[in-house]
Amino acid sequence: MEVLVLLAPLLSFIVIGLLGSKIGDRTSGIIATLSAFLSFILTLLIIPQALKQPIHITLYNFLPLENYNLSLGLYYDPLSSITTAVVTFVAGVIFLYSLGYMEHYFGKWTFKFYAYLSLFLFAMLLILLSDNLIGIFFGWEGVGVASYLLIGYFHDKKFATDASFEAFVVNRIGDWLFIFGIISTFLIFGTLTIPELFEKVDEVSKTSLALATLLLFGGAVGKSGQLPLHTWLPNAMAGPTPVSALLHAATMVAAGVYMVSRLYPLFENAPDTLKVVAVVGGLTSFFAALVATAQYDIKKIIAFSTMSQLGYMFLALGMGDMVGAMFHLTTHAFFKALLFLAAGSVIVAFHHHLQDIRYMGGLRKYMPFTYAGFMVGALALSGIFPFAGFFSKDRIIGSVLEESVFWGIVGLGGSFLTAYYIFREGFMVFHGEERFRGEYGEVHEVGRVMVIPMVVLGVLSVVFGFVGGWYSGVMGDVRHVHLSVAVGSVVVGLLGIGVAYGVFVKRVLSPESLYESLKPVHALFQSQFFTEFFYHKILARGYFNLSRASYLIGDRKIIDGSINLFSFGYLRVVRVLWKLLDIKAIDLFINWLAMFILSTGRRVSFIQTGLINNYIFFLLLGIVLILGIMLYGLNKVKGQG
Amino acid sequence: MTAIPLEAFLTVSGLIFGIGMFGLIVRRNLITLLMSLELCLNAVNIAFVGADAHLGLVEGQIFALFIIALAAVEAAVGLGIIIAIFRYRKVESSDEVRDMRG
Amino acid sequence: MFKLIVFIIFSAWAVISSLGVVLFSNPVYVILWLLSALISIAGIFFVAGAELVGAIQLIIYAVAIAVFYIFVLTAVPWEKALKKDSHYRVEGVIAFPFIILLYIEMFIVFTLGVMASPKKQLKLFIERIGNAEVVGSILFSKYFIAFEIVSLVLLMGMIGAVLIGRKESQTYDGDTS
Repeated sequence: MEVLVLLAPLLSFIVIGLLGSKIGDRTSGIIATLSAFLSFILTLLIIPQALKQPIHITLYNFLPLENYNLSLGLYYDPLSSITTAVVTFVAGVIFLYSLGYMEHYFGKWTFKFYAYLSLFLFAMLLILLSDNLIGIFFGWEGVGVASYLLIGYFHDKKFATDASFEAFVVNRIGDWLFIFGIISTFLIFGTLTIPELFEKVDEVSKTSLALATLLLFGGAVGKSGQLPLHTWLPNAMAGPTPVSALLHAATMVAAGVYMVSRLYPLFENAPDTLKVVAVVGGLTSFFAALVATAQYDIKKIIAFSTMSQLGYMFLALGMGDMVGAMFHLTTHAFFKALLFLAAGSVIVAFHHHLQDIRYMGGLRKYMPFTYAGFMVGALALSGIFPFAGFFSKDRIIGSVLEESVFWGIVGLGGSFLTAYYIFREGFMVFHGEERFRGEYGEVHEVGRVMVIPMVVLGVLSVVFGFVGGWYSGVMGDVRHVHLSVAVGSVVVGLLGIGVAYGVFVKRVLSPESLYESLKPVHALFQSQFFTEFFYHKILARGYFNLSRASYLIGDRKIIDGSINLFSFGYLRVVRVLWKLLDIKAIDLFINWLAMFILSTGRRVSFIQTGLINNYIFFLLLGIVLILGIMLYGLNKVKGQG
Repeated sequence: MTAIPLEAFLTVSGLIFGIGMFGLIVRRNLITLLMSLELCLNAVNIAFVGADAHLGLVEGQIFALFIIALAAVEAAVGLGIIIAIFRYRKVESSDEVRDMRG
Repeated sequence: MFKLIVFIIFSAWAVISSLGVVLFSNPVYVILWLLSALISIAGIFFVAGAELVGAIQLIIYAVAIAVFYIFVLTAVPWEKALKKDSHYRVEGVIAFPFIILLYIEMFIVFTLGVMASPKKQLKLFIERIGNAEVVGSILFSKYFIAFEIVSLVLLMGMIGAVLIGRKESQTYDGDTS
């Protein structure tokens, strides 16, 4: 049963991958959905056991090293089993949603999409359940591959392939750090199995542990889109919306947070690394929130919001509140998936042609369910009581405030901005005048298969916050949020909503005039503080130009020149040799040899008369000769004997 | 009773073998060529049987029997070939079948 | 002594018949000489005490194979078979010294072989239970597989001869159409 959790998506991937064209796109999607829900149900059955006593299963030893057996194993403890349940559930719901979302593309090899999704789920479960770091690394790379395939799913569009390529390259930097972190962990501990790591964590040197954890955190930065390696995450929105919801909001990007939590005893013993984690997370959360206020793409806003929330999680990790981070990850998975699904519904309503919120508006009348889903998600994201986000986010802000007032205020500021940008998007899309009129025709509410996932996730976004106490108890770290923090946080969130309402619905201040007066700031935010420009134009283009220059100078001039010179000289020498040696000596000899053999053959061929009798005569000659030789030899032997 | 010496058998065998060999070299008619070949085989048979009589064994006679059987096969196939050659070429002389001339 | 005389008579007969096979030009005479040679060789076998081989020599060689040759000869037109120059004289002259050389070498080999050969071992045993019986029992026990293979070879030869010698309609494309 424990293994089947992992194998169900893999089997689904194999079946769809092999038979997808036979069984059709819709059946493929149903198989993928069922496999995800199967994993979810099995995980639910395992959880009670895992909460009592962690389950550790070794499946297969595939690399016996000198004094360590590298194995494939599963490790169910409260952290991994609950996260697995959340991931499989969200994945199943989103798979179900994608049946509706991808209907537009059915008949165009869409089964590939479900195969990739199943592959992704398998790799994600490998990250979650593996009992050693190499297994996590395999899953890490697996979700990287699935993410690459899914971002570039619309591979006939240049921006999608560019985005998938960028995601792959940027992730590569993180993965490179991660594998080095694994190697240094192995050097330090002599083992990679997670429970054994926890046992030995007190015995090792703090300095080397800091280095190893820093490298591991580098991997998390790459996968979770934190500050230096963040540009791929918004661009990854080129993929289909269920992909954005699943990979780039709810699960895959959370792998970095999960990995740090998984190895949290290691990080706890490296306080310097934790400081770095906190600074990176805090900066990212504020940075991404600022950038999100100036975006126009319906999905990119939510993508930056994801970055910002992941930053909160890392901030909490850095401040020592691992359970808060993981709880926020869980609630975030629900409401962020909900927001993405709502955004996807809007995109479907516009037949996959419109994603710019400046041309939307007034959709509330046409899409009530989507509107409700989006608003629930937005309220949860803003941390308004009693939605799920309130509990998790306030716990984080509370923990951060305990540790450091500065980062607490940064967190509160981010919280204000979060409320502002998400409601800015909500009001621009669902309220106001209908700016899309004339170009895109009528818009309708989406089908039932897409509404049900939103309803499920919406309900969970409302109620899941109340299980926070239980969750903290299970994870063994209960913290009570001070009332003043809670009230302050809600007030800040309401303030953000109020500003957005005032500007975009009531038009107390005209957004257009604000835009005019704050144009430089807006440009700064919209270009992500020029980081994307810097990466794309200066780093990538600079590297490109450097390569071109070194090609022109180094390759063309120096290497090609020397090679040409060499080949020229060689040709000269060879020509001389050819004239002297080949024509004069070798050709002469060869020709002579050929002529000699030819004439000899002519002369000798008269023996071949074709007459049987003559051949028998030669046979007689042979018999006589061989008998003579044998007798002569016999005589010699006898003479010696 | 006096036994016939082995040398006598071997002499007769060698004589007949040589005569058969000579016939193989000089005969022009394909059928007579085959007959010369039969002489050679019979010469070998004489040697076998003579050796048997000298040694007191029977293996030689058994091989003589095998040789007779194989001679029958050889005659059948050889004459079949000759008939085929005659049918296609209307010749039966070995100097008219010299396709292998170099 | 009597045996030796009979052997010498048969031997002379066989050598003379062989010379007749080689030297006569008319194929019909050649076949008669071959028949005579085969019968005399059968006589030699009888004298040597190999009654079974001698009988088979008479039945199979002297009757079956000779008749077979005569059949084939009848398939060849007379004017072809009675060609005047039936021998290659130049080749004969060239080959003759080598035949003599072969005789000399064979003589040396035989002398060496006879000198090296052991004495009689099983003579008494054979004389007690009879030659044909011993040959038969050994042929069907020790050489049974060889015997079966030879019978297979005979079958193959038969099939091959039929295949090679049969009329093929497409070779007579002028006649059949």
